[in-house]
Amino acid sequence: MQRPHDELYRAPPNLFRMWRLLIEFLWRIEHAFERSRNRNRAVDDTRVRIFGVLLLFAMLFVGLAAKASAVALLNHVEIGVEGPTAAIHRADLVDRNGEMLALDVPHYGVYVDGRDTWTAKETKDGLLSVLTRAPAAGLASKIDEAVSGKRIVLIQSGLTAQERDQVHDLGLPGVTFQEEPRRAYPLDHQASHLIGFSDPAGKGLAGAEKALDADLHSAAAGGGHIALAMDLRIQAALEAELKRAVDLYGAQNAIGLVTNVQTGEVLALANLPDYDPNHPGEGDPAAQINRAGAFRYEMGSTFKMFTFAMALNEHVARLDTVLDTLHPLQMGSRTVHDSHPAGKNLTMEEVFLESSNIGTARLARMAGIDRLHAYLQNFGVLDRAKIELAESVKPLAPAEWNEDSGVSVSFGHNIAVTPLAVAQGVGGLTNGGRLLPLTIRKRDGADLPAGPQVITPETSQVLLQLLRKNVTDGTGRNAEKEAPGYRMGGKTGTAEKVINGQYARKRLFTSFAAVFPTDGPLNAPRYLVLVLLDEPKPTAASSGNAQAAWNAGPTAGRVVNRIAPLLNVKRDLTQVAVRTVDKPLVEDVSTDAQ
Amino acid sequence: MSVAIIRLLTVRVRGVSLVETVAFGCLVALMLAVYLFKAGAGQESARITELNKEILAEQRDVRRMQEELSRLEQPARIERLSDQMLHLRPVAAKQEVQVADLRAVARRPATPATPETPIAPSAAAPVPATAQVR
Repeated sequence: MQRPHDELYRAPPNLFRMWRLLIEFLWRIEHAFERSRNRNRAVDDTRVRIFGVLLLFAMLFVGLAAKASAVALLNHVEIGVEGPTAAIHRADLVDRNGEMLALDVPHYGVYVDGRDTWTAKETKDGLLSVLTRAPAAGLASKIDEAVSGKRIVLIQSGLTAQERDQVHDLGLPGVTFQEEPRRAYPLDHQASHLIGFSDPAGKGLAGAEKALDADLHSAAAGGGHIALAMDLRIQAALEAELKRAVDLYGAQNAIGLVTNVQTGEVLALANLPDYDPNHPGEGDPAAQINRAGAFRYEMGSTFKMFTFAMALNEHVARLDTVLDTLHPLQMGSRTVHDSHPAGKNLTMEEVFLESSNIGTARLARMAGIDRLHAYLQNFGVLDRAKIELAESVKPLAPAEWNEDSGVSVSFGHNIAVTPLAVAQGVGGLTNGGRLLPLTIRKRDGADLPAGPQVITPETSQVLLQLLRKNVTDGTGRNAEKEAPGYRMGGKTGTAEKVINGQYARKRLFTSFAAVFPTDGPLNAPRYLVLVLLDEPKPTAASSGNAQAAWNAGPTAGRVVNRIAPLLNVKRDLTQVAVRTVDKPLVEDVSTDAQ
Repeated sequence: MSVAIIRLLTVRVRGVSLVETVAFGCLVALMLAVYLFKAGAGQESARITELNKEILAEQRDVRRMQEELSRLEQPARIERLSDQMLHLRPVAAKQEVQVADLRAVARRPATPATPETPIAPSAAAPVPATAQVR
């Protein structure tokens, strides 16, 4: 069938057609010589062919030259092309303001090649005069091993550049160096539990180094850094005040936490005693444990905050509801009593301010233990704190939740939780009721997680007022004296320690959870300071008392006083004058209720 | 056209084909150019290698200095030094006034400054335990 416009139709070029044209062209060239011979002009044909080949090469060279010129002249060359970067295995760790916390710094290993050394004595004398950190005997035996065995032996690793130069200046034959990146922690002991450390192979073993191990490796490839939520200035203030507390009150250990309750960021975390992550193998191994996450403590009355949050949220009672605190609470064979009885019935508010165990236990019974259990689960204190740190462990909670165990838990007895879990839970109570996971990484406002609503905003507001009143009129008065004008709220907690399965009456664990500022909208910037002291002693500084009101409370107050200006919290000078409350400062101890 | 080309190819200067002479000249020029470019590139490459080494060495120095700087700027160290050398300490509540109260403060008779108890104890100046009781 004739196609329309067939005379105009041209088949599109295809490989077969091109191949056929090429063959045809070569065929013509080949037969040109034959044709010339037939015309008796063979010489001309040869010259033409030579000229053709020359022309082809000339065109090739011209093409190459044109391309080279174009590349050289027309290509856009970026100014400031990135040069090489020093090989680092782990990215830098910095605080939220960019202050350096951990970085890879090149160190050097010094080797002796026994095949190139002249005499063992000369090598030994030279190296031992410079390498003074390690035992001389060990170094000497390694040098002997290298020289006698005619092989290469690592004599010492971790040399600084200065030490390497000193060895190099000796001019010893057979002594060589190998670069080895090492992690340096320039803050030494400071923030050691939060930063952690890594092994020489570059694997994180503790703290942020372990928690963010994969991210640190991937960020290192791009030459970046990872910013922690920590503020080094706040960390330093917290550590200084904890040291002071240990000195003043003779505590065995001290733990401190500062968090932003609106974001869940851990701004500071400190443990005493601490350690130097540059030399993790040295010193007491127990000092390397991050007790804020790895140890569980009976918190005592600090835990009452959760019971009160539940009771208020469930409208079990109102703050002016009077509870029977005159009579001890009989629970079968057990009796719940107050170590400092009020001698009268107290309102719910007074129960909180006086930290009455009987009143709190009655609230728990009124609400029902199942409800208390459900709320504690919602507050996150029956599970490990949600945080990147691997050190965060599960609490020790009653295996069976009944009236007996639940009542004890209501006032912080019979349950051992980590300080991190408490910080997470209290943050949820005081930020409007959203339980946010804690984080050691800096969080931008945009990437805030949406935590579950565990109490209503109204309950959160009432709790803030209750915490504030406890500091102005209740057991937190000594804390207020240390931080006047910062509208701090808080709750004390004093618990007897369990030693060999028995409660030790004289060995206490005290805590104070401070929240500031308590005024302003629920979503206003607000911070938590949690201070815990292990076995503080009655000293002159604590007026002969060992309860939290006299040691952990004032310590938290001093921390608030120092860090509030750093957090842009202004002192309200109208609230500077501390009210004189005409009643003795007594506090109930969470004790065995037999 | 082909006649002109053939004539050009047959031109000889002192018995040597002009085309061949020109081609040989081009070849020598190309060889020289390649040699010069390669020599120049080699020198540049050596210079780049040397610069890279310098950059790496400086990067190492920068990291060492960063470490040293962070060590020197440890807040605890700064605080200890400011306490020992300058007797600086955090501002106390009683040192703060509202703007409206400035006039009243100015009218108040001056009192001799009394040394404050250091906020942070230091090895050089331990805090007496009794000083903390208020």
